[in-house]
Amino acid sequence: MIHLQGGTLHDPANGLNGVVRDLYVQDGRLVPFDPSARIEQHIDLNGHVVMAGAIDLHSHIGGGKVNIARALLPEDHRHNASGATAELRGGSGHATPSTFRTGYRYVEMGYTACFEPAMLPTNARQAHMEMGDTPIIDKGAYALLGNGDFLLRLLRDGAEQARINDYVAWTLHTTQALGIKVVNPGGIAAFKFNARSLNVDETAPHYGVTPRQVLRTLARAVHDLGVPHPLHVHASNLGVAGNVESTLATIDAGEGLPIHLTHIQFHSYGTEGDRKFSSAAARIAEAINTHPNVTCDVGQIMFGQTVTTSGDSMAQHRNSAHASPRKWVVMDIECDAGCGVVPFRYRDSNYVNALQWAIGLEIFLLVRDPWRTFLTTDHPNGAPFTSYPHLIRLLMDKAFRNEQLSRIHPDAAAHSNLASITREYTLDEIAIMTRAAPARILGLRDRGHLGTGAAADITVYRPQPDAEAMFACPAHVFKDGQLVARDGHIVSTPLGITHAVKPDFDRGIERLLRQYYDTHHALRFSNVAITRDEMIELGSRDVLVHPCGRQT
Amino acid sequence: MSDAPVDATPPVHLDIACPFCGLLCDDLSLSPAATGLSITRNGCARARQRFALSPHAATTSLIDGQPAPIDTAIEKAAALLRHARQPLFLSGGADLASMRALLYLAEQCNAIVDHSNEGVMRNLRVVQDHGWITTTLTEVRNRADFILCVGTEISGQYPRFFERVAQAGGHFDDTRPAPKLLFLGAATAADLNARQIQVPPENLLESIAILRGLAAGKQPRQTPAELVELNTLIRQARYAVVAWSAAALPPDSAELIIQGLCDWIKTLNHQTRVAGLPLGGSNGDLTALQTTLWQTGLPLRTRLGRRGPEHDSERYAARRLLDEGRADAMLFVSEFDASAQPPLTTIPTIVLGATGLTAPPCKVFIPVGTPGIHRTGHLFRTDSVVAVPLQAVTPNRWSSTPDVLQRMGQQLTVAHP
Repeated sequence: MIHLQGGTLHDPANGLNGVVRDLYVQDGRLVPFDPSARIEQHIDLNGHVVMAGAIDLHSHIGGGKVNIARALLPEDHRHNASGATAELRGGSGHATPSTFRTGYRYVEMGYTACFEPAMLPTNARQAHMEMGDTPIIDKGAYALLGNGDFLLRLLRDGAEQARINDYVAWTLHTTQALGIKVVNPGGIAAFKFNARSLNVDETAPHYGVTPRQVLRTLARAVHDLGVPHPLHVHASNLGVAGNVESTLATIDAGEGLPIHLTHIQFHSYGTEGDRKFSSAAARIAEAINTHPNVTCDVGQIMFGQTVTTSGDSMAQHRNSAHASPRKWVVMDIECDAGCGVVPFRYRDSNYVNALQWAIGLEIFLLVRDPWRTFLTTDHPNGAPFTSYPHLIRLLMDKAFRNEQLSRIHPDAAAHSNLASITREYTLDEIAIMTRAAPARILGLRDRGHLGTGAAADITVYRPQPDAEAMFACPAHVFKDGQLVARDGHIVSTPLGITHAVKPDFDRGIERLLRQYYDTHHALRFSNVAITRDEMIELGSRDVLVHPCGRQT
Repeated sequence: MSDAPVDATPPVHLDIACPFCGLLCDDLSLSPAATGLSITRNGCARARQRFALSPHAATTSLIDGQPAPIDTAIEKAAALLRHARQPLFLSGGADLASMRALLYLAEQCNAIVDHSNEGVMRNLRVVQDHGWITTTLTEVRNRADFILCVGTEISGQYPRFFERVAQAGGHFDDTRPAPKLLFLGAATAADLNARQIQVPPENLLESIAILRGLAAGKQPRQTPAELVELNTLIRQARYAVVAWSAAALPPDSAELIIQGLCDWIKTLNHQTRVAGLPLGGSNGDLTALQTTLWQTGLPLRTRLGRRGPEHDSERYAARRLLDEGRADAMLFVSEFDASAQPPLTTIPTIVLGATGLTAPPCKVFIPVGTPGIHRTGHLFRTDSVVAVPLQAVTPNRWSSTPDVLQRMGQQLTVAHP
């Protein structure tokens, strides 16, 4: 048994806000004190802040488009390389680090789980391969639906909701996913028919369905199947001035069902002002505040070089005009999905970029409920995940935030009401948005908190006035009870687990799918599903299947 | 359905993937036969030959051409690597698991990693400099109404491309005829109803420059009428696909040709939909590239080890390292092609080779099983998106590459704790 003595716990899931309490760890779990057990290790955490390991619910860490970004940008890797040691693998990269490096960097910052939000079903094996080579942290993925030919045909042909639900469940099973994401509903498919935009109530070419229908049907399916994580939604018209209207229409299309709006910063733009580009953060925050069924992550941008990797080929082809450096990749994929990879350099001297930065922070500060707002940069699209400590300081330290605000394009600063917002996040709110809330919304009952029975994923910080320094370099990080990082250095490299769900469904759908695959696809139906054994071959330690609502 | 086997004998394995080219056709039925494995449904001549060869070759490990126990061969190989100043690890065919093991060992030895297919780097350099718009096999199969094949007749390298992909029948409009095929600078396969624009290889680059100009609205005098018509046809198509095989292009202009095609495609996409289809993936070249990219952050032709990955697509090319005498030991892995030979060199060479044919001249030869025959595995298909699972279809009597490489690594550290 390990005894963690005297730390100050911020464990909002259990109502502990800065309470000094001892923790006991045995066999990878938090356990009650047992006077008969032998204490093998005793760690004095007096004066330290103790939280559960942090959880990133939206970070592009595995799969084809991340690797395309690596191929596209050797310059991101050349000057950011680390060598192999006796214990650690080498690697490189800042915006899209190599897999081993990704695992190490997350753990060095106190993160112990990370979720790939855009796993194309036809590319799921690659996503799991890359995540299999990402050490220490737990992983999981959301399978992309909403632009595949099979689903759009079902909708066109007026299939019953139950049939859609079966297909969604089958996708979760065969791709070993934890949730479902929809990206630009119907828009990626429309781009293949040469449409360049698709509004929420616009009829998509060929299939005659609207994004609203796609979204509503998938949100219903995820809900009916009892999948804990709501439909993860990348809304229509990403990055377009005036897209606040699409975003509000998307909230409306949810019809009260749980939906998670991802990287909402990129969907909160108005058209006011001389430049026809303005912040709509207040309207978006108000909509979220008044729709308890809606959660969001922000997708904060940070200034500097990064690369945007997205399933939204329609949006990325449009954005390719802004590629910096001037090179980019767009792909149409398997009558199923698409992707686009466009390098970006966000500049504080650029009006639009500066306002994007302010909009993200406005949303963080105007959405009142930290249980429904999550800390992300949509890694690597807004910025690499390694900028999280800086972002946390921006949220916790108003003076620091205003100092940064004074450096951006003056017109952008003038068009933002950021300076007037006085809110500063508390440690407890940071613990909610980076631990307790993501675990809850993903259905990970034994993660994100420090109660008895929880996995002993624990991060210990040294309190410092500079929150960035505090969150960049925790004193201790434990993964499943094992010390994995100390003072920002990796000390051991166990493998994390893959989180998944497997809701019940009517296997009758497989007859239809077999016929469909064997007629149309270049892969036979019998080779589509990824089994648990194959997951281990792909590199996963194991698959942990979480219960779905109806099965509990 | 036409899925009934043509053979009266029930096949023992259904929907098996063939690992012998980048298409990775996974619709084969296999039966055990007196010699090797017999394909009872689908497949091509190459697949029939390779599967038939597979199980009956009996080779042992060799040191300097003399039979040796495998443990001794592994120790010898480890000793060679331990004493090498700059080892070169060259894949001539390795699947995911083998690439993972190879990269780990490379890191322990500070080795440079490359693949013997030149084409993969020709495409990659265009991505590094410009990027591209591409598509995948199922899109081509169902969506393309016009397919342009540039500089290659395709079927020599990818025998079932037309049967399974380009002429497999479209489903967005069931009454639609098969896509129009046009070959630019390549001989048309005789049985295809396809047009051909004859361009000698040395003029291919110029033709593509003209096409780029046409797409951008420039039409110099004396533009060949066939190219004007091609540019019109591709703009009229609802979804056109431009296919090339980097390996089949003239070596001295291949990258410029690919770059020209990609720029042309990008320009055409201002108004219509056109996508490239770079053909590759054979002998695990894309698997090697993908695995190296995600594990190191950099592509093939990267030096691994204590200093961190360093990439140089020219100086770290296997051919140049050998020609310029900058490598002093080579590890060559070829799990799929028993006839593959490592490049000629005088430096000590370790070969992990598919069982079946005579071992090439080398210091150490270790026969290994083939993923997709003797063990399960994974390879990336030509489109780099779909990773196809490979099955074990015959009892394995051979060592697996990952196991052999791991044991070599252990020997390295045993000797140098």
